[in-house]
Amino acid sequence: MRAVFKRSLASLDDVFAFTEKFFAGEEVDGKHLYAINLVLEELFSNMVKFNEAGPDTVSVEMLRQDGMVRVQLSDREPEPFDVTTPRPLDIDAPLERREESGMGLFLVQKFVDALDYTYRNGTSTITFLKRLD
Amino acid sequence: MLELEHAGDGKVIMIGRLDAAQARKAQEFLDGIDHPRELDCAGLEYISSAGLGILLRTQKRVMAKGGGLRLVNVSNHIRDVFRYSGFDKIFDIVSVADSGQ
Repeated sequence: MRAVFKRSLASLDDVFAFTEKFFAGEEVDGKHLYAINLVLEELFSNMVKFNEAGPDTVSVEMLRQDGMVRVQLSDREPEPFDVTTPRPLDIDAPLERREESGMGLFLVQKFVDALDYTYRNGTSTITFLKRLD
Repeated sequence: MLELEHAGDGKVIMIGRLDAAQARKAQEFLDGIDHPRELDCAGLEYISSAGLGILLRTQKRVMAKGGGLRLVNVSNHIRDVFRYSGFDKIFDIVSVADSGQ
């Protein structure tokens, strides 16, 4: 199942609706919905925030295979942005040293079973897998 | 969508989804309350890192005044997000299971 979404945070409701439609169509257990929506939001919102000059839309593809959900986001951008190497987050730091941003890609790592990034011919492709067990 | 309600005495009720699209609305609402002390998350279905940033900023403001924000009726999914991000070390968190609901 594939869809394109306008490059805007206002598209998030549509992104979540897309995931729910996929889950219903593929009869995926709803207990995995939170994790997939969270990862999808973090990656999509990064594309919105850090590639403002990109094309009007971002492409998302979701499929079920081998007991997993595989999600792929594609975006045209001038420079690579490898989401698989987030900056470290010290979760034991006291409140005064905690920053209000920079938690998104850290959380992505916690909720996926695999994460891949490629950059070819000006296109970033992010693929993540979530096991359905 | 996200709905916020000030139930008085610094208690805030959050209902819906606190995602990146709703973050500004949530921040403005919380900034408008002098001494928030408790967020009731019973109706909060979802929070992402954008929402975590709002809670963190609010906690810094509240603690600078000698207070502290308590997060109550937290669902299992949201509790996981709090735990992964270390929020269990900087917030007083009461999960749904702990509160017996």
